[in-house]
Amino acid sequence: MRQEALATVHELARKDPRVLFVGSDLGAGTLEAMRQELPKQFFMEGISEQYIVGFVSGLAQEGFIPFFNTIGTFITRRAYEQICIDIALHNLPVRLLSGGGGMVYAPLGPTHTAIEDISLMLSIPGLQVFAPADANEMRALLEASINDLRPYYIRFGKGGEELVTPNFVNFDFMPKVFDSKESEIVICTTGVMLQNCLSARKLLEGIGKSTTVIHFPYLNELHMANYLKIMQSAKNIVCVEEHVPRGGLFTQMLHEFVKLRIGIDNLSHISLPNTFSHNYGSQENHLDLHGLTKEKIYTKILELNNSVINDVI
Amino acid sequence: MDINYAELASDTVLDDRSRFLRALVLDALEGGGRGHLSSALSLLEIVRVLYDDILSHDPGVPLLKSRDRFILSKGHGCLGLFAVMTDHGYFSKELLKTFCNFDSKLGGHPERFTLPGVEFSTGSLGHGFSVGIGMAMAARLKQEKWRTYILMGDGELNEGSVWEAAMHASQHKLDSLTIIIDYNQKQASGTSDLIVSLLPLTEKFISFGFEVSEVNGHDVSDLANKLKKQTLTNGKPKAIIAHTIKGKGIVSAETSSTWHHKAKITKEEIRILRKELQIQ
Repeated sequence: MRQEALATVHELARKDPRVLFVGSDLGAGTLEAMRQELPKQFFMEGISEQYIVGFVSGLAQEGFIPFFNTIGTFITRRAYEQICIDIALHNLPVRLLSGGGGMVYAPLGPTHTAIEDISLMLSIPGLQVFAPADANEMRALLEASINDLRPYYIRFGKGGEELVTPNFVNFDFMPKVFDSKESEIVICTTGVMLQNCLSARKLLEGIGKSTTVIHFPYLNELHMANYLKIMQSAKNIVCVEEHVPRGGLFTQMLHEFVKLRIGIDNLSHISLPNTFSHNYGSQENHLDLHGLTKEKIYTKILELNNSVINDVI
Repeated sequence: MDINYAELASDTVLDDRSRFLRALVLDALEGGGRGHLSSALSLLEIVRVLYDDILSHDPGVPLLKSRDRFILSKGHGCLGLFAVMTDHGYFSKELLKTFCNFDSKLGGHPERFTLPGVEFSTGSLGHGFSVGIGMAMAARLKQEKWRTYILMGDGELNEGSVWEAAMHASQHKLDSLTIIIDYNQKQASGTSDLIVSLLPLTEKFISFGFEVSEVNGHDVSDLANKLKKQTLTNGKPKAIIAHTIKGKGIVSAETSSTWHHKAKITKEEIRILRKELQIQ
């Protein structure tokens, strides 16, 4: 996904002189082809995220569209105030490309795991927050972003994700439904959890449990009203996200349900816990520990589906 | 012989225009009943000289493409900026008197979206320098000739982001960028040398790759000369260390730290401030 994103920025920059790439000491060779071809549109700044967010804001104020990429925690934690004031308050077309969403950087410890990034970014007025699922969706999103001058935060996965969204489609901010039908089980998810949810769906359907997966790549507005029929006919609705329990997709769903005055007593949540991890290993280890692998999602949903009263986790 | 700029700043007698601008500051302060008075008085001559003699700007067309960009990074000094902008016709004296009122365009820190002519909203310290670097880079990329000026407080230099920006301004050889330090050596809690010493300030900026000048920040001729004499093509960003007196021109504001920021200002206090300004 990251490679596709950077390649897309390069292509966009070729066509549009407003497009700039800005990194913070991302390592030798990052977008080398762009640096060679379009050196005036390529910036590799120092390890200084507060400065960089201000820098790209100044550029954006003067008509450029900067794409700033670094590790997600360094963007969202270190430069939070700069994102609020310099970017969001001024409603500038900066694109924050956030590497390593969720537990991607688990082996590097809690300083590097972006477990609350969506919550932080969604709390900033005007900032548009996205978690695409794969390279196809990432490309569509970045291409569409050129025509939208609002500020964007875009969460990346690890890379190499299975392609599960269609290629060559226009990004339309709307949720993606796999497949739109009335089902016993509805799974709502965002970002690269989509692949695990689709795999869990396959397992569930394999034992006769009809399952719909709804993927929300755009998190500010879920358009939940469009899916009420699907939701209300389901026995279980399960929100799956690689994020702390509060402030992410689940919270957004609750807000929309309340706004729509819909009582949901069959809604459950599978997420990362509200703690910093002091384990390392791989992202997969952590997803397994917290019930976010396809097998664990399948098992948990079966458990919920078989119980009379569901506890909201 | 080394020039004692701080002493010169202290000894400088303000001219009629500087006193008139201070009277405007007091009008706004009275309207709002609150404000950062002494910070505004500290930077008033710097802003005056920028708008009178240095910046290319047009109050009738605040977003003129070719304008020089000026960011008051030390946003809490905005009473000084508002006074100068009023005098230049950006807005009326009546508006100035609505300072900090609920539906006023003039808040306790300058805002771009409410007030045409304010380049960037500031308030939290340590933002303007980095944003200004982005603007100066934009001018370079677009091959436009306008320049970028950023006014910071000396207390603001406590912020780490300032030094991130300083390294990058130099790295990018942004010689169209000028930072001006309002060096009054006082912060909200006391003198800057007691809180976190900035010394040796000139040497710091030289070591960061800047072309550095020191100036008496209340001497409008000195300020104008130093700003005009900057080398434009030496690949170095410019730093002007303007020695100033916090509260300059009004003895209460100069001597009492309570005027750094004060709320619930009474009519009697305003009357005393006006009287002190007259006898400065």
